[in-house]
Formats: sequence, structure tokens, C-alpha cells
Amino acid sequence: MLLPAAARAQQSDTSAFYRALDAEGAGKYREAAALYRQALASPGDRVNAMLGLERAYAEIGSTDSVLAPVDSLIGLYPREPVYRTIQLRAYTMLARPDDARRSFDAWVKALPGTPDPYREYSRLLLERGQAAAADSIIQMAGTALGTTSSLQMELAQSRAALGQWEPSATAWRGALAAAPDLDQAAAFSLTPAPETARDGIRAIFLSLPVDVGARRALAELEMNWGAPNEAWSALRELPPDSGSVSAWLDFAQRAEADEEWPLVRDALVAALRWHYDPALALRAATAALNAGDPKSALALAPSAGLDSARAAATVLPLRVRALSTYGKPAEAQALVNAFAHVMSPLQRSALERSVALGWVRAGDLPRARAALDSAGADADSSDAAGWLALYEGNLAGARAILRNSTDASPALAETLGLITRMKEDSAADVGAAFLALARLDSARAADAFVAAAPRHPDATSAMLGLASQIQAARGDTAGAVALWSRILAQYADSPEAPGAELSWARTLRRAGDAAGAVKHLEHLILTYTESALVPQARRELELARRAIPGGGATGPGGR
Amino acid sequence: MRRREWMRQAALMAVGSRVVRLGAWLPEGGQLLVPMDDAQSDHLKAYGLTFGTLKMGLKAEWLLNYRGGSFLLPDVPELRKEAALAGVAVQGISDAELASVRSLILNSNMDSVPLEKAPRIAVYTPPDAAPWDDAVTLALNYAGIAYTAVYDDEVERGDLGKYDWLHLHHEDFTGQFNKFYLGYRDAPWFIQMVQTALQTAKKYNFPNVPALKKDVADRIRQFVTNGGFLFAMCGATETLDLALAAHDVDIAQPFSDGTPMDPDADRKMDWSRALAFRDAHLETSPYVSSMSDIDGHQVNDPARRQPLGTFTLFNFSAKFDPVASMLVQDHRSVINDFYGVTTSFTKATLKPADVVLAFEEGTPWVKYIHGDYGKGTWTYYGGHDPEDPEHAIGNPPTDLSLHKNSPGYRLILNNVLFPAAKRKPLKT
Repeated sequence: MLLPAAARAQQSDTSAFYRALDAEGAGKYREAAALYRQALASPGDRVNAMLGLERAYAEIGSTDSVLAPVDSLIGLYPREPVYRTIQLRAYTMLARPDDARRSFDAWVKALPGTPDPYREYSRLLLERGQAAAADSIIQMAGTALGTTSSLQMELAQSRAALGQWEPSATAWRGALAAAPDLDQAAAFSLTPAPETARDGIRAIFLSLPVDVGARRALAELEMNWGAPNEAWSALRELPPDSGSVSAWLDFAQRAEADEEWPLVRDALVAALRWHYDPALALRAATAALNAGDPKSALALAPSAGLDSARAAATVLPLRVRALSTYGKPAEAQALVNAFAHVMSPLQRSALERSVALGWVRAGDLPRARAALDSAGADADSSDAAGWLALYEGNLAGARAILRNSTDASPALAETLGLITRMKEDSAADVGAAFLALARLDSARAADAFVAAAPRHPDATSAMLGLASQIQAARGDTAGAVALWSRILAQYADSPEAPGAELSWARTLRRAGDAAGAVKHLEHLILTYTESALVPQARRELELARRAIPGGGATGPGGR
Repeated sequence: MRRREWMRQAALMAVGSRVVRLGAWLPEGGQLLVPMDDAQSDHLKAYGLTFGTLKMGLKAEWLLNYRGGSFLLPDVPELRKEAALAGVAVQGISDAELASVRSLILNSNMDSVPLEKAPRIAVYTPPDAAPWDDAVTLALNYAGIAYTAVYDDEVERGDLGKYDWLHLHHEDFTGQFNKFYLGYRDAPWFIQMVQTALQTAKKYNFPNVPALKKDVADRIRQFVTNGGFLFAMCGATETLDLALAAHDVDIAQPFSDGTPMDPDADRKMDWSRALAFRDAHLETSPYVSSMSDIDGHQVNDPARRQPLGTFTLFNFSAKFDPVASMLVQDHRSVINDFYGVTTSFTKATLKPADVVLAFEEGTPWVKYIHGDYGKGTWTYYGGHDPEDPEHAIGNPPTDLSLHKNSPGYRLILNNVLFPAAKRKPLKT
């Protein structure tokens, strides 16, 4: 049956639109442009065809060609915002600011009382980095419309670009109330705020009433500012509901990526209080264990359903590791024994090694050895065996095993660095010092390394260096300084000397003694000219002399 | 050293052949070559090392166009130590090697300029400004070159006479606060800046800030007239000349002095008082963040803003144009441009005697200009921060330890060292 002529034309044009889409999808932009022009004749497709035409011309570098058709359409449909936006966008892309401004003025004149022209023009100006101009457009909107409530996001972005951080935060707060999913955009625009402006921003986002969007944005900001604890503080007080849970889970995911394990634990625990989920509980327990909190890990890890192969791969290892770390290797051993039937030999061997480390931590080396023995032949070459050998003072065994470890941790590298410098095959005092360190008895470990140092001339400075690091980490600055001083006085030619001097200088600078820091840094640079630490020392020297900005200093300079 | 003294000593240098004279300039027994080509690990601190040499009472030489504009310093332990601390590459050079270098210099577009005394440096900057607020103080701090901060109080007290070299940065000498009123009127730093300026104006019996700044501009002009070296960047270049030319006409918008701009201001400008520009047209709208058509880029006016390109340094004859040569010593001749309140200078507004040091190919503007005025000299360098091309208010400061080899910053430091040079008689 033949269709009426008008209907045939329409069908043809509709077909042109879809063929244009296909051509565009295939990267045939010239062909697509021709078809989109043809599709402009179809009233139902006109708006989408015009947008397609804009895309196609942009791809072939002919954005100016979009102006003629869009001018015609604006003449026919002056109230259609899409055509107005395309025209404005084209002039902006073509760097014809006077024409863009005329296009904007014409749009305002054609549709007084609508925020669309102000929004589109200010967005385009912002995209081009013209924040002051965008701000003036938004102010025009305030005068013309009596409010800028519908332009909060643009206002927030322009204020941020102008360095008006608190007004920007206020505008973002308004925008987030209407569109909570703008949290990332808010955080992105406020991240450059200098240190001095941050408390003001925090106060605005934390003010009552509590709003999930604002809190999420603040948490994101705090993470960007390197303040993860403050980020969690922003979210912690949220009322438990589905929106809050979503915020907590997102935060936990970001904190996992940053390995902020205590915060991961807290965020997941908050989510678990709203809705218990065993998989989430396992994640929370793992975070707790990684955070050095085995007690919470044990409380969080599911205790039911352990009698399965799946549990042997998930919950059981976690509980065994937690018990071993928590100083309960006997209970860990009991757990391994109780569920041995659901474990593969490989799984059991791994858990026995965890138990062995638990006994090491408890200081019971014979039982650690027994646990390793029961872990099978492979256990003799495991990291646990290597550490055990070290703790027993068997340096030769420790060297042989740990050298093949796949562990890339600094602790292992440092330990190997020290024991490979020693010629002895055994040294009980050194093993005892490392054992104290493994038991987290840092004061005893530092004393033990200091005491052992003179007895092992090949590694004296290395042991003193390690002891100084332990003292500094404990906050015993005086103890650390005494050791740095000793290294520099007695072992000035050792590899530890430049590191000791750099650490000493850093400590002095942080304590406000810039002159003292400069003295050490100059000595380091001039004495250890070939040291890999010289570039770091030069940077410290510049900071101590205030030759370069440090700590996020900013000023009002600039355009 | 003031320019008059500089000229007097230059006359004394006119005796003897160049090589003999230069050989006598540095102590016998070895020198340190500070290469300024790509072999240099920290170009910016190399200027500080050379400046420090002069501060120690030692002499130096600037080997124009030789390996990027290298320096020759006495080989003394103190300087080797300072070079090691700063991470500046230096090379001990024997007498035979030095003779070879001098021969090359003699027969090429190169020259050797003695540097004899560290200039006394003043930077015109508000008392509460951090050193990171302008590119020159950033460079001076990084290079370890000492300077004194002066502002309206010191200028009004006549303290400029104590210095050889004065730097200006983004000050608006028209007293309109760079027209930041439009975008920043509520910003605490802006409010503070306006209040401080008003208090100073009142203290010295000026009716408003534009009147105070015109007087400050005039005192700066006197400083140059009397033999001072002036170096300005960013908005200070354009507004200093506008303030000088507008000595007898109101060019300030009502938000700064309470009265409208003189509608006939353009015609009444007296450009004979200005250092670098002439016949510029003032921007009459208080709502346009631009002062005049001196700036080619007009960065803060969306309708006129021009994109950034690159600028090229002129290659001057080192032997016949030693001053211009010193100002363009660099290991790069084409440098990425960077915005500022005033980014560039339109050719149409330059005075005929201006020396163009750097230009952008195919554009109606130039980047870097220099000239004499009275007994002194001025140099204008457009833009705000050579390593932050689109620096905006509130942006974090540039860490120059990450830009140790910046060719754009080198141009600033050329200006700092140039007043230390002993001028030699021109060959005729």
C-alpha cells in the first residue's frame, strides 16, 4: 500500500536520522553530517539531529558549519534551549567571544525569566577558565531573576575558581542539597583551597542540618587533603539509613585503596550495624587485622559455618591469623586441628606457619619450631622458618631462607641488609634483638641492638642505625639523637652515617631549630657527596632556609 | 652600583687589550667555570652563587653567549663549597683552557663582562606579602639572593636612594587594585589590602589611594632618573606608566576614589612622563578587568583574551650590545609564554627608543622590553610566573626546586645580576 506523500517524507527523514547515527558510530563523520542535515526536516528528530550535526561537524573540524542551520532553527523556534545552547557552544569553541556574548544576550531577551542562558553561558566560561566572567554572568542572573538558587553549582565553581573558598562552599552546600550526586564535583573544585581556608569550608559542610551529600563531599575533600581521619569524622555522625550506608561503603572502599585500615574497619562496622552481611563482616575483620587490631578482628569474623571448604579459604585463615597475632597461638592451633578435615594440605601448611609466628610472638620458640615441623617439609623454606632461624640466632639459616622470600616489605630488606653484613653464622644476641622487635617490645629491641652492636664490628653501625630508627619511631628523640651522634662520631665512614645525619637534621627542623638542621645538612652534602641522600638533603636545606615554599603557602598574587 | 658610577668605572676600563685586561680581572691560579648550558644542574642557583661571589668581595665574569651565558668565578674553597651545597655544576678550568675560551670569545659573537659589586636590591611588595607572591621574590629566595622589601612607607620616606635595583610586580599604580574589586570585593585579603592602602594614603595626606600611588610612581621614576635600575613584571609594568602619564588627570574608577574617570582622560595623558609606552588608550569601563590596550593578551577580559604562544629572545651582538645581551642570556631562545595581569606589550604602544628583548612571532605584541631613562634603566617583562602559565589567585606557589633549569626564570635573574656588570667602552 502506498503511503501519503507527507508520511513518506517523514519515513524517509526518520530513516536518515538512524542512518546518520550508524555513520557516526562507524566514524564516517562527513556522511553522518549530510544525513543529519537531511534529518533536520523531520520534526520528531529535529532536536536530536541538530545535536548529531554538532557532534559530526566537531569531529571533522567544521564547527563553523553548524552556525547556519542552528541560526535558521532559532529563527523558527526561538524558545528551544537546545538550539540556543548549540549556538553558544559553537561560538565559544570557535573563540568568537563577542558573538557568544551576543548569542547569550539574544537568548536572555527571547526568554526572560529563565535561568537556562545564564547557566549555559557561565558553564562554558568556566570550562574555558574564565571564572571572573562566569561570576559576572551569575551575578547578572541574580539581578534579572531575583535569585541564583537554580545556578548554585555554577556559582560554586566560579567562586572556587576565584579563590573565594567559603562562598564557594556555601554554594556547593546549596547545590548538594538538591543534587547529592555532585559530591565529587564539589570535592574536586574545593581541593585546591589553601590550608588557611579549610576550617571555614569544614564548618560550612558540617553545619546543621546533617546532609548526606554535604558530608560525602567533605569526606572526599578531606581524603584529597590527606586527612583521612577527618574524612571519617565527617561521615561518622550520619544517621543510619541506606544513604549513609552507601556513603560508608564508598568511604571504606577508598580507604582500602589507601590502606587506611583502622578507618576501613570503622566504616564497615558502621555499615554492619545497619544491616548485617557475613561477607561485609569478613571484610571488616580483615581490615581490623590489617590495622593491628586482632581483638576486633576476632569479634567481627563470622564464627558460624566454619566447617566447610569455603570457610577454610576465607574465615579460618583470618581467625587463625588473628588468634596468633593476639597472643593466643594455642587457640589458633586448636582451630587448625579442629577443622583440618576441611583444609587442603597447602591451606593447613599455611595456617601452621601462622601459628608458628604466633608462638614466635609469644616468645615460645620450641613450640614455634614444633608448629613449623607439623606444617610439613615445605615449611622449612617458608618465611616463618627464616624468621624463626633468625630469632634463634641462626644467621646462616635465616640468610639462606629469607634471601629467597617474595616478601617485598622494607622490614625484610632492612633485616637482610643487616645480617648479610655479618660474617658470623650465628649470633644469639642479634636473634634476641630481632625477637624483641617481633614481639613489639621496641624499647627492649632498641637496647638489645645497642648492646649487641660492639660485639659485631661488621654491622655495628647498621645495628645502631636500626636502634635509632626504633627510638625515633617510639618518640624517644633524645635516645635517637644520642645514637645518630654516636654513628657520626665513631662510624662516620659507614653507610648509615648520611642517613643518621639526615634524620637528625629533619628532627631538628621539625622542632624549629633551622640553624641546627642547616649545619647538619651542609655537613652531609659536603661530606657524603656521592650519597643517594644528597638530593633529599638539598631539599631539606632549602626548606630549612625557607628558600622554597613549604606547607601549602599561598598568596593573593596572580591574575 | 648606580649607573653613573658604573659609567665612570667603565671609562677607567678602557685601557689595555681585552684579553690582558680580563686576565687581570680574576686572581691568578685557576678559575671555576659555571656552565649555563644544559650541563648546568641548577641554573637558578648558579646566579645565587655568582651573586654570593660578589658579596664576598670577589670578582666574577659573565661570559656572554658562551655556553648559555656562563660565569667565571675565582677557584676558592668557599665557592666550591657553596656550589656543592646548592647543587650548582662548576668546572675547574686551567689557564690553558681559559686562554682557549678567551680566544673563542674574541672571535665569536661572545664577550666577557666583569662583574664587580653585588647590587643592593629592593623589592616593592606589601609588608604582609609572603615571598611566594611574586616570581622575583620566589627566584631571589630560591637562589639565595638577599633583598629588602619596601613599600609605600619606605618610598614616601625617600628610602629608594639606598638601593641600586628595584623590582615591582603586580602592584596597580593607578590605585584601582587591578580592578579586582569586580571579583574579589568580599575576599578578606582584598578588604585588608584596600584598608591598608587607605590608611597609608591618609597618613601621607593624600585624598585617596590613586593619589598616593601616583606619588609613589613618581618617586620610582625619580629613582630611575637618578641612575637606578628598575625591573618590573606583570601588572606593575603597565600601571606604572599609566600612573606616570596620568599625573594630571583622573583615570581611576569611582570604586577607588569616589569620582568618575575623566571622560577626556585619553587625550589628557602626558606620555612624555612614561618610561616605556605612548599613545595607549585607557579602558573606560569599570566592569572590564583591563587597564588599557598596552597589554596584548587581556587575560581577564573574556571577550578580548588572546591565547598563549611562545616568545623568542633576540640574539644581540654581545660586543656591541652588552646590556641587551646580558638581559637575554639563556640556554633556550624560545620560551613558553605565561599570563599575568599584563602579559605582553602591544607594539603600537611602545616608544621608538624601546629595545625589544623578546617577541612572539606573527603577533602585534612583544614580551620583554628595556630602555634608558635619565641616568638609569628600566626593564619590563610581561606575565606573572614563568612556570605557572595560567596562575590564578589562590593557586599554590611555584616550588622552584622543581624548576631548577627554568629558562623563563633565568630572564628575571639576568636582571638581578646585570647591575653588577662593569660597562666597557663600545668599539667604534
